[in-house]
Formats: sequence, structure tokens, C-alpha cells
Amino acid sequence: MAGVLAVFPHLDSAVHAIDELKRKNYGDITVYSPTPRHELEEAAAAPVSKVRVFTLVGALLGVSFGYWIMIWISEYWPLVVGGKAIATWIPYTVFGFEVMVLVGGLSTVFGMFGLSRIPRLTMTVGYDGRFSHGDYGIFVAAAPDKSAEVSELLRKHGATEVRNER
Amino acid sequence: MAASAAPLSPLDETPRPNIPTAAVRLPAVKDYEQVDNEILATLRPSAGWFAALGVAILCLLIGAATWIYQIYEGLGAAGYHPPTMWGVYIITFVFWVGIGHAGTLISAILYLFRAGFRTSIYRMAEAMTVFAVMTAGLFPILHLGRPWKFFWLIPYPNWRLIWPNPKSPLVWDVFAILTYLTISTTFLYIGLIPDIAVLRDRETNPVRKRIFALLSLGWRNSDREWRHFTRAYLFLAAFATPLVLSVHSVVSFDFAMALTPGWHATIFPPYFVAGAIFSGIGMVFTIGIPLRKYFKLQHYITLNDLDAAAKLCLFTSMVVGLAYLTEFQIAWMSGNQVEQDYFWNRVFGQWAWAAWIMLICNMVLPLSLFSQKMRRNPTWLFILSIFINIGMWFERFVIVVPSLSHEFEPWQWGSYAPTWVDYAILLGSFGWFFMWFLLFIKQLPVVAIAEIKEIVPPKMSHAVHGHGQPGGSH
Repeated sequence: MAGVLAVFPHLDSAVHAIDELKRKNYGDITVYSPTPRHELEEAAAAPVSKVRVFTLVGALLGVSFGYWIMIWISEYWPLVVGGKAIATWIPYTVFGFEVMVLVGGLSTVFGMFGLSRIPRLTMTVGYDGRFSHGDYGIFVAAAPDKSAEVSELLRKHGATEVRNER
Repeated sequence: MAASAAPLSPLDETPRPNIPTAAVRLPAVKDYEQVDNEILATLRPSAGWFAALGVAILCLLIGAATWIYQIYEGLGAAGYHPPTMWGVYIITFVFWVGIGHAGTLISAILYLFRAGFRTSIYRMAEAMTVFAVMTAGLFPILHLGRPWKFFWLIPYPNWRLIWPNPKSPLVWDVFAILTYLTISTTFLYIGLIPDIAVLRDRETNPVRKRIFALLSLGWRNSDREWRHFTRAYLFLAAFATPLVLSVHSVVSFDFAMALTPGWHATIFPPYFVAGAIFSGIGMVFTIGIPLRKYFKLQHYITLNDLDAAAKLCLFTSMVVGLAYLTEFQIAWMSGNQVEQDYFWNRVFGQWAWAAWIMLICNMVLPLSLFSQKMRRNPTWLFILSIFINIGMWFERFVIVVPSLSHEFEPWQWGSYAPTWVDYAILLGSFGWFFMWFLLFIKQLPVVAIAEIKEIVPPKMSHAVHGHGQPGGSH
């Protein structure tokens, strides 16, 4: 994906640049920061993560499977004790709960991976190693004819380095 | 070794542990570069680290060789004979599961409660959890006469169509411990991804850089990644919190579901959970305080953090102490002579010495933490933590051995003496645990870089009102 990448040493400069880029709508913006910052999140105005859907679906599947496998085992291999039910929900709640946590937790993680588009094998376009240390980054997927204009805007807001990526 | 700023003297730190602003939490940490440099400096191997690793591996080898001997000789070599068929292995299993609780407690519950002191200690506590549960998981297998049959506890389609009994607490245990190990490992790994990306971006060795690139899954610190990461981390914490409570409750059912004097009590789940958290915090001190000094991390793991963790230790000690006393009250009010005899025997009988070690280490000594001076004294906290570890091991000894050796009828009574095999395997378990922990602290950051950076004020081009306040959304 082609575009313009800018490196900002200061958080507030990056926030101001994002505000103006959003107003002028040059293209999709990706913001990089060494740690999550609510200032950047608000400026980027991204929707709430959908990870919760994966959590809910995984938890429901897990709890259902946990109860089902134990009831099925009890019916398939009955251990008959006088006066006791073959399958009973009270002890099986342990399995229902544990498998709910297991599947719900793992589906949350896989949901996060899918939504974040990781694992990623290459990251040569639109990334700089400084973004994990202390600098902030903005990548704008701008059309080639707009890249000079975008670069100018980013420099105006305090970018210490601006480069075209393709 | 970190080339760090001089540690603050105790008087320089404002004793307000839970206010998560940089000025109060981490007054000696100035910027992101300092965080990277000082925390990554802990990864350089040193002679002391190699020596410690050598000792751990030696202990592990002693334990492994002893296990081979035990498989050849049978469980009688470990001192098991009727009526005491549970001994050091089950005691040590419960001990390590308990230690495995503090990591997820500190990481998940304190995260949900936004406790400021969590940030600097949670990584080492999480790693401790994973390795402690890995250690605990060995003991039910060590306790088997035919350890190669351990997988019979797992429900899988097999050719004889035999399935485990899902009404047995031992099968509940398998599910609880495996879930706990999986979720705790996942929680540790997810939290590590941004820090592994830091390692990847600073690494110059191409092989190590490639390994870190694979482990970081191509993490780029983008807004999209952080948005989903923070939400997923929150949900994982929300899952892990009841999991902490459930796992040791299930372990307590191993005892409480049996009709054995001293075991068959409804108090066991909360009693075990409180004890597990207490012993886990003890082990966090045992590991964290030497690491804090050795790596010169005093301005990340501050006295305020230790003070807050010590308060949690004191609270759980008092809960455990209350449970000890309540057990006696339950026996007294039950009118059941066998139960009353058992509890009399606990404090005045054959195993009284073990019970008194438990009571002094777990109930009496932690009362010193009512003093703020003691809570802010790392040397005392370390010494106390050793007593807590000993006391909590003996708590499990007091639960297991006197009950089994002193059941309903006098003809059932017996004795139990651990042999050198038990002690060698106990030593081996410490070797196994510390080997993994020592390998971990030299490969991956023992303090969470990204979360520390959330507390440190970001660079601003203009002075901003409220500068230094926590701005992170994690």
C-alpha cells in the first residue's frame, strides 16, 4: 500500500496532525504509538472493538460443550450408584465453567488477532522501529498526486521525518 | 546490569501507593528512552545469573534421577503406606498451585480494580504463575505408580471405550488446572507482545531479530492493534479473575468432597483461595525483592509498590488466620467427637509441631505488616516471605497428613515419615521452577515496558495542563 509516513517526537503534534488530516480526508490513516494513548484514540475516532462478539460466542460455545461432553460421557459409560442420577448438573457446572473460560478466552485472543490482522509476516511498508520506543507515527494512504500536499501538512505539524512509502 | 539512576531513599518517596501518576508512582523515571534502556539492560547475562541457573539445573537433575529411582522401586520408596497414601507430593502440588495464584490475581484482579502498584510487578508475577502451575502439574504424575498412564484422566475417545468419572474432583482438577495453565500462559504472552516488538526493533543480531519478529507476530503498535489489544486484554482479565477463584476452590474439593475428619467442610474453598493468594504474594516477594536489588529496579518497583503488596499480604494472612480459627470453632460446635479429636490432635498430637509452624509463620509473623516501617523494609519483607513459604507448605502438610493418619477408628490410625525420595523430588521441583524463571528473565523483560510507558509522561511540544497524568487507555 502506497502512502506517506511521518515520524513525530511529540504526542500533541501528532494529535493536531491527525485532526487536520481527518478534516481534509486524504485517505485512510494509521497511527503508531509506543503505548496506547487516549488522545490518539480520540483523534482517530475509531469505532469500539468488536472483540467482545468473539468473547461472547466463544463463551457460549464453551459452556455448552463443557456440559454436553460430561453428560454424554455419563450416558455412554454409566457409573450406576443407587439413588444417584447418572448425569447431574451440579458437579458438571465445574466443567461448564472451566470450558467456558477456556474457549471464551482463546476465542477472544483469536478474535483480537483477526481484527488486528496479525500475525503479519512483512511490515516493511508504513512502519518504523522508532514507533515501539518513543516516537509517534502517522501513515496516510494518500493518492500519489496528493503526497506532496500531505507531506507539507505533516511537516507543518512538527514531523521530524516524512517519507513516501510504496 | 542496568546502568540506572541512583535508587531513591525511603524518605524521598511519597507514601501514597495507589495514585497512578508518574510524579507519585515513578518519580525517578523521566522518559521512554530511560525505560527502554534500563529494563532491557536486565536481559544481559551475568556470572551471577549463570551460577543461579547452574544450581537450579543441578537441583532439577537430582529430582529427575530420584524420580527414575522411584519408578523402579515403587511409591513405597516415598514413604507411602496405608493409611497415609497422600504425602509430600500432594502437599507440594497444592503448594505450587497456590503460588501460581498470585500472578493472575495481581495481573487480572488488580487490573480490573485499576490498582496502581500492579504495573511494576505483574510481569514477574505472571511468569511465576505459569512456571508454578507447570511445576504443580508434575506432582499428580509423580504421585502415580505408573506415571505413563496419566492421560487416562483426560476424556478422549479410546479403544476400550472407558471414560473418566466426571463426578470425581480429581477429574475436575484436570480441567481446572489445564484451563488455568492455558489462560495464564495466554495472558502472559498477550501482555508480552508489545514488549517483544520493542526487543525486535532494537535487536541487531539477525537470528534473534527474526525470532523476536515471529514471537511479536508482526506487531506494529498501530491504533488498530492497540484498540483490539486493550479490549481483548480487558476481557481476558475478566475471565481470569473468576478463574483464579475457581481453580483453588476445585483443588480444595479434592479434600472437601471426602468424608475424612478435618477435610469435609464447606469452608474449604474460600480458605484455600485466601491461602493460595497469600502464599503467592509471599513468593512474589521471595522472587521480586532480590530481582529488584540485583537489576537495580528500585525506581520501577518502588517502596510504595511493596507497601501496597504487603497490605494485600497482611489482609490475606488475616483471612487465612480467621479460617484456621473457624475450623476449630466448626469442630467444637459440630458435636462430632471424631472431628473434635482430630482438631485436638492437630495442635497437641503427633503433628503439633507442624501445626505450630503453620500458625506462627502464617498468622503471627505477618502481623508485623501492620507497621508501615516494616511494610517498607524490603529486607524484612524478603525474610517474612521465606517464613510464609515455609508456613504455607506446612499448612498443606497439616491438612493432608494428620487427617489421613488419624481417621475414624483407632485401628485405622497410622503414621507417615517422608523419605529422602520425597525431599529430593521437592528439591527438584524448586530446581524446575527456578530454571524456567531464570531463563525467562534473561530472554524477556521482567517489567512490562509498554505499561510502564503509559505512566511516564509523553513528550509534548508545548506545556500541557495535567502533564504527567496517566493518559494511557490500556
